Amino acid sequence: MRLHKLTILAFASLLTVVLLSACGGQRAQVPETSVEVDSLAPLYPDYTDVTVPANIAPLNCMLEHTDATDMVMVLKGEQGDELITGGEGLKVRIDTTAWRALLQANRGKEITVTVYAETAKGWKRYQPHHISVAQEEIDAFLTYRLIEPGYELYRQLGIYQRNLTNWDVETVYENNRVFEDGDNHCINCHNFQNHSTENMLFHVRANHGGTIIVQGGKAEKVQIKGDSILTAGVYPSWHPKAPLVAFSTNKTGQSFHLRHPEALEVLDERSDLLLYDVEQHKIQMVLTDTTLLETFPCWSPDGRWLYYCVTREPDDKSFPDSLHAMMMLKHYQELRYDVYRLPFDVQTRRFGPSELVIDCASRQRSATFPRISPDGRYLLYAEGDYGQFHIWHKSSDLYVKDLQTGSLYALTEANSDDVDSYHSWSSNGRWIVFSSRRMDGAYTRTHIAYFDPQGRARKAFCLPQEDPEYNIMLLKSYNVPELTKDAVRTTPQTLKETIYNEE
Amino acid sequence: MGKHKRQSAPVRTAAPASANAPQKERKPFRIPVMGLLFVLVWAWGALWYGDVMRVAREWSFWAPDITLMQYESGRPWGALWHIGLALLQLWRWPVLGSAVLALLLTAATWLTAYCLRLRGWWQALAFVPVAVYLAVVAHQGVDIYFEAEPGRIMGIPFLYTLVVILLALIIFTFTRHHRLHPETLPQNRGIALVAVVTMAVSMAISQWLRPYVRVVTEMQCELMEQDWKAVQKTARAHPTLSYRMIAAYYAMATVQRGEQGSRLFDLLMDYDEPYIHGFDRDETTGQTYYLMECDYYAGLVQTAQHHAMENLTMCGPTLRSLKMLTKCALLRGEWTVAEKYLRILGKVPFEGAWVKRYTAMLRQPDAVNNDAEMKMVRMTEPVHDTFESQYIQPVFMGYNASLMEGRSVNALLNSLAVQLYTKTTQGFLARCEAYQGQMPPQTIAEALLMFSSKHPQLTEAFPGITMHQTRLGSYFQEVKPMMSDRQRYARELFPRYKGFYPYYYFFGNLKATKKQKDNGGTSNHGVN
Repeated sequence: MRLHKLTILAFASLLTVVLLSACGGQRAQVPETSVEVDSLAPLYPDYTDVTVPANIAPLNCMLEHTDATDMVMVLKGEQGDELITGGEGLKVRIDTTAWRALLQANRGKEITVTVYAETAKGWKRYQPHHISVAQEEIDAFLTYRLIEPGYELYRQLGIYQRNLTNWDVETVYENNRVFEDGDNHCINCHNFQNHSTENMLFHVRANHGGTIIVQGGKAEKVQIKGDSILTAGVYPSWHPKAPLVAFSTNKTGQSFHLRHPEALEVLDERSDLLLYDVEQHKIQMVLTDTTLLETFPCWSPDGRWLYYCVTREPDDKSFPDSLHAMMMLKHYQELRYDVYRLPFDVQTRRFGPSELVIDCASRQRSATFPRISPDGRYLLYAEGDYGQFHIWHKSSDLYVKDLQTGSLYALTEANSDDVDSYHSWSSNGRWIVFSSRRMDGAYTRTHIAYFDPQGRARKAFCLPQEDPEYNIMLLKSYNVPELTKDAVRTTPQTLKETIYNEE
Repeated sequence: MGKHKRQSAPVRTAAPASANAPQKERKPFRIPVMGLLFVLVWAWGALWYGDVMRVAREWSFWAPDITLMQYESGRPWGALWHIGLALLQLWRWPVLGSAVLALLLTAATWLTAYCLRLRGWWQALAFVPVAVYLAVVAHQGVDIYFEAEPGRIMGIPFLYTLVVILLALIIFTFTRHHRLHPETLPQNRGIALVAVVTMAVSMAISQWLRPYVRVVTEMQCELMEQDWKAVQKTARAHPTLSYRMIAAYYAMATVQRGEQGSRLFDLLMDYDEPYIHGFDRDETTGQTYYLMECDYYAGLVQTAQHHAMENLTMCGPTLRSLKMLTKCALLRGEWTVAEKYLRILGKVPFEGAWVKRYTAMLRQPDAVNNDAEMKMVRMTEPVHDTFESQYIQPVFMGYNASLMEGRSVNALLNSLAVQLYTKTTQGFLARCEAYQGQMPPQTIAEALLMFSSKHPQLTEAFPGITMHQTRLGSYFQEVKPMMSDRQRYARELFPRYKGFYPYYYFFGNLKATKKQKDNGGTSNHGVN
């Protein structure tokens, strides 16, 4: 009996020590004395002077390129309590509850952030920066794919969903984790109808290939193939009101540079547009002009217009048809896409004549991924020097065309010197999420920018992570960021069963 | 024993008491079998198989970081492979790695005997797991780490040891079984012999079945140290061990030493197929074993970067691919991503010195350009951009045979060497124009002289080449009767004509050329 008591006592003592060491530690304190320096804190990720939604997870960060050994961060809003955090070396992990309270109390206002860094010479205080808290929240869920920027090959990859209000990440679907000749497959192009996960789709390539379409929680695998279809359905866009998906169908190749700032070129040898009825399983070809390369379909929010990108195939008769791919490669820098649109009658399912929306080619530029804001006013797209696969073009930036006034401009505040490409809107049209290689030039990371009612973007911020070093340690790219109002309800197991079902 | 009192034995003789006192028995020397096993395994790892294990480490990755270990975490047995990979890091110094392996295997053997209560000769059975482990490792050769899970190398011995420790603890706690049954002297000798034989069998397997494995990994280790001379020396010490991977690493070292125009053909190049399997465990040519390095040392930095990224994708992070990505990023001035890779490598145990060396080059183009290795790589970078797909890529030397312009003599030499290797006469002659009026390096001169029989103007354009005329004449005289069955005489002639280009032209790479012709090819280009 005595032994039993001793055991309990020892266990309780051990537990106390563990809990104390886990919860305790020194509470961060503002240094009593510090020397002011002229510069802003060298934070990673760069969260200085950004605009954030009130429901975003804490902007955890760390000091980079500094001789400091410790840091303290003080966040003070016009309303609410001061938040002091730090004291764990060069990383700051902000308490989620306190952060949330601070943001809620300061909606539409600014938070002033003061960073202190401890060096061998004592504490220094950087110039304060600000975090603006927008009135409008962002959709809580971000779906993305994680894959190495490995060009041709794939091994372990998956589609994941992050709750932007906290650190939760759920797996939507992961492919086979271990190499199996008969099971290896790629997954891509996840897409949702109206920012809802009720209806969604993604593609499976190679083994178990097909398009997985989820409607009302029911998943099925379909083959979007036919004699007149080049390969399969590729870039998708759900019609906002009808059970229809517009796809491009692309015969795509990629070529690798030997000595060039860009890694590779992804070219469409041919591409067309088609419409797929997900209920009737019927395919309707939309654009099949063999002299034109049509791609990246996107519906307007009212469903009355189908936007897309198009360029004319190079007219080079010096190559026989058998060397068509080589001919395209020779002219890769001359391929420049414009944005067009087709009127659509959802009742008759007929398209009208196409009309030019953005003429990029005449400016020696090329447009990709048109995305219309939920209010139908703005057309957001990526513009680069040439080609259509801007995720590999450093010249790629986000641009907007105001469809009311016709003005066209770059989102300078949100853009960077490196790739800024794949983008999507929040359901309220106040936030855009996009892929950018600005952090290291190689791995895309999701960035979020506020889009104000005047059609201007604010400085973008990187998707916050619990461990601020996460983006350095992660050897995969964030791909195809899409916002939804709700979480994906179809389980990975259900999706797996659907994918592996070969009937 | 000497201290034990004798119990009341009556004295029956008159002999003096002192003479009757019990003689102190000499305790027969027993071989400490477990100690012997420890030493043998340690010696096997430190002296015999250390380079293989060090390369296995280089082809693996472990860091105490959840994000970095995601590739492993998602796999079946991921936790075990984590431990295995962590232990594999100790092979940075084979002396250390093999000590830990020896400890695991010795403990496992002792505890196996303990748990199974093996007596006498049966104790030899306890050596079965060690014997199987060492035999499999030797038999698998490079397959223990090539497109495979290197966490198994140390993970499996760890798991086995852990299991027998737990079993032994249970037995120790719940039974009176506290010690091994002592073996007799002959049994002791026999069991010690089993330990020695176990080791000898493993060594024999690697020596006879996979003779190239230790050689190629030794070269790889020397390459890691950038000791080019040693790489060449190791290869030349085994000139008839004809495997592509040996030839490839030898070529890299030869390029780094600027000897590709004179010493490239010092090895027998008519390759045997190695025992090597891909991800699907089907046999493969093993090109990806050295392709990344071939590209890098031939100046194709962007292509090396491409292949390193694909290696990262397919195998998860490895020290090999991350180091290559770092070096390529530095050469391409991609400082931020180079810093990322260095930061990741900084988390790997024992990589501090490497990280420190290359961190000093961040944002310092001069430091990059002045680095001995990178300087050579830089000199052979392509002048113009093209696409990989537009060129034939001989895997050997990773060089695009079609490139026509170079930024240095080294680039020209690389290009010439590839033309000679692929036996592409026209391409070779076109590039030789740059040497007109000069004395070209020896191999090139030999080739020019040989081709001069069909192109007599060559002797005028390159007057110095005629100094090789005597040797060429005697060579042709000797090999003329052998031309009808070149495959048969290739090895026989090799010692006499090692390094002599006309020998390579007619007797080198015959298997590949035959394969190419069997497949309908009309040229000699199938030598890659």
